[in-house]
Amino acid sequence: MIGAFVRRRAAAPPGDVRCNGARARAPSLFTVKDAIVTGFLPAAARRLTLLPLAAFAAAALLSGTASAQNIADKAQVCTACHGEKGVPIDNNTPAIWGQKAGYLYLQLRDFKSGARKSDIMGPVAESLARDDMMALAEYFEAKPWPALGQPAAPDDVATRAARTNNSIGCTGCHQGQYQGDGTQPRLAGQRREYLQRTMLDFRDGKRGNNPGMSDLMKAASPEDLAAMAQYLAGLQLTPGQ
Amino acid sequence: MTRRDVTIATAMACALAIAGFGTAAAQEVKTAPKYGDMQTVTQDLLNRAGDDGNNFLQTNGNYHQTRYYPNAQINRANVRKLRPAWIFQTEVKESMETSPIVVNGIMYVTTSFSHVYALNARTGEELWHFKPKLGPITTYCCGPNNRGVAVYNDMVYVATLDSKLIALDAKTGAMRWQTTIADPELGYSETMAPTAVNGKILIGTNGGEYGIRGFVRAYDAKTGKLVWNFDTVPENSVGVWATHDATGRDMHRDIAAEKAQLAKHGDPYKRLGGGVWQNPSVDLATNRIYFVVGNPSPDLDGSLRPGDNLYTDSLVALDLDTGKYVCHFQYIAHDVWDLDAVSPTVLVEAKDKDGKMVPAVLHAGKTGHIYVNRRDNCGLIRYSEAMVPQENMWVLPTAQGARMLPGANGGVEWSPIATNPGLGLAYAINLHQPMTYHVQSSPYPGGKLWLGGAFKVIPTEEQWGNVTAVDYNTGKIRWQVKTPQPMIGGVLATAGGLVFTGEGNGLFKAYDARNGAILWSFQAGAGVNAPPSSYTVDGKQYIVVAAGGNVQLDYKRGNNIIAFTLE
Repeated sequence: MIGAFVRRRAAAPPGDVRCNGARARAPSLFTVKDAIVTGFLPAAARRLTLLPLAAFAAAALLSGTASAQNIADKAQVCTACHGEKGVPIDNNTPAIWGQKAGYLYLQLRDFKSGARKSDIMGPVAESLARDDMMALAEYFEAKPWPALGQPAAPDDVATRAARTNNSIGCTGCHQGQYQGDGTQPRLAGQRREYLQRTMLDFRDGKRGNNPGMSDLMKAASPEDLAAMAQYLAGLQLTPGQ
Repeated sequence: MTRRDVTIATAMACALAIAGFGTAAAQEVKTAPKYGDMQTVTQDLLNRAGDDGNNFLQTNGNYHQTRYYPNAQINRANVRKLRPAWIFQTEVKESMETSPIVVNGIMYVTTSFSHVYALNARTGEELWHFKPKLGPITTYCCGPNNRGVAVYNDMVYVATLDSKLIALDAKTGAMRWQTTIADPELGYSETMAPTAVNGKILIGTNGGEYGIRGFVRAYDAKTGKLVWNFDTVPENSVGVWATHDATGRDMHRDIAAEKAQLAKHGDPYKRLGGGVWQNPSVDLATNRIYFVVGNPSPDLDGSLRPGDNLYTDSLVALDLDTGKYVCHFQYIAHDVWDLDAVSPTVLVEAKDKDGKMVPAVLHAGKTGHIYVNRRDNCGLIRYSEAMVPQENMWVLPTAQGARMLPGANGGVEWSPIATNPGLGLAYAINLHQPMTYHVQSSPYPGGKLWLGGAFKVIPTEEQWGNVTAVDYNTGKIRWQVKTPQPMIGGVLATAGGLVFTGEGNGLFKAYDARNGAILWSFQAGAGVNAPPSSYTVDGKQYIVVAAGGNVQLDYKRGNNIIAFTLE
């Protein structure tokens, strides 16, 4: 009953956590040390105690039956990096509030299997059962997409992005206005730096869980991808769309 | 959790729905004098759809899929007076590929994300709206499209993006049953319209870009129970090591390397793709169905899938009752260009090689050829002249990209062709979209797009499309009209000597079936990239088409169903 344990320790001091190299404050649930002492960490997570967030998160997420409250508790862990109000705490962490559930689920699945590699997310996902992953994915999809305040791209950048789309067909999967659907992520309004790094990671194979994306990214130049990231980050929707 | 959300829009719409079907308001119901009571869609009514000048009962008009509508009220002489009668706006502004189905004055259309609407075909008024609750996982290659419903007895059938088959009450839109066709997490999805015949609902699957194993299935129309399953990829998918395509061109296969791969890793049938995009044709006389099977997975990388990759890129015939294999013909063995077979088959009578009329089956390929095959043994009779430029065929994809025409969208995409049996012509819409083909081998990524490379449009080269009339008795092109953009959507021919088809720029046009002269056009305001239908109600013939744009070619999106009639 990890949920009960977490609630009891809610007054404990916050732990230091790391999100993509930046330091952040974890929500004050319990500390990594507590988790290890009380035996809640799986063996693999114990090996990763140099990444306090990962261990912390893995412990907090250890699966119970996924009630709504339980899922909300589990989701608290994610806010350390992905933000209390859905605004990520650094530029290389993606917004997940309002992201498509099918996409979030597949990423958690792939973090768990190792198909997508991340020192932070791997241990987090390792402790999750399929139902938890799906419940978390649907929990975050239901949240509003955060306003990250990124400026609209100038015309020349937008034109270059449109040409790139015409060439490799981004909207064929990511949909009109890059809103995503199902297992295809929304890109509109995502962090520019995260978008650019992700496209380049696909391009050079660092991110290996979607070879189709890697192939498409290889068919575009890094300059095209930079323009695309800038365009997508600043993509504002017309009200009502 | 309920999986449906039926909206009865207003009390008036509800009343209309009742009026449309009930006996109390008999003056509202025009029963066809020819076929008697049309309260329900009987098998007899469906069998006679080809001669039914009132309804439009099947995705492609009738079981032979001729898309030839037998009413001539709208014709060459008066088509210039064709005007919008009504416009219906759906809730979903996204790519539309629906073929409107019309039964006794009630129209059924679908939208992206598998919504179904019932409309009053006289006025466009909404009668009901079925909005499926799709699961969180949907995997599809080319947009969240849906191509329409099947109607049978008092039910309407739709297949959903998350791979379910759903039966709705035709009067109310309430769900009668649903069944899961396949697991979307493994790459399966549904965008095609089902076919209803002899108590069965036939459906194929999408997923050729996701490492699936394709199939065509028959479900019991009343209960949703599976009747039979045919795997479009057999356990022995190797074939005959064909080195040339159906037109006799060398495909540059490295057979020795493929054989070595086969010896090492075995038959690749489990993830070989073979989606089926469009309805089968039904030959009631022989109790057979004919359909085409799409590309092998991964699209561009042949190194992982030795052999001919049967029955991908093939025409296949099955026994309707049992789903047992009858015959097949492979257009392209071991395809590494995704120039596959997606446009629906059409049954016609055509001249064989000796000039004798025989039962034949047409298919318009992404290669830009219309293939004419025999129905008895699936053998090739002829293929048409190429309707688009072909260059550098069959150069193998490379890491840097190899230019070849046609590009990977065709030729003819999924767009259904139409025929005019009197003229012996087939009308096809084509794309000219120069591309480079890039190969990059990667292992199966588990329910994610798996192309084995990339198709890249060459941005500096001009793109265009055309409408082409092919004489299927000779294979010669009779006429051809160039369009400013690549064409995707579909075609309708009518007994009025007309051919209707739309364009990505919003223009919907009527052509003279004999010579391609443009006789009428209408600007719809969004891409007209769906197959038109025609119907007649209260003695007035209508032409109807969806204008919703297209994801694949990024044509302007809209949400309109537009019905036209003579002013």
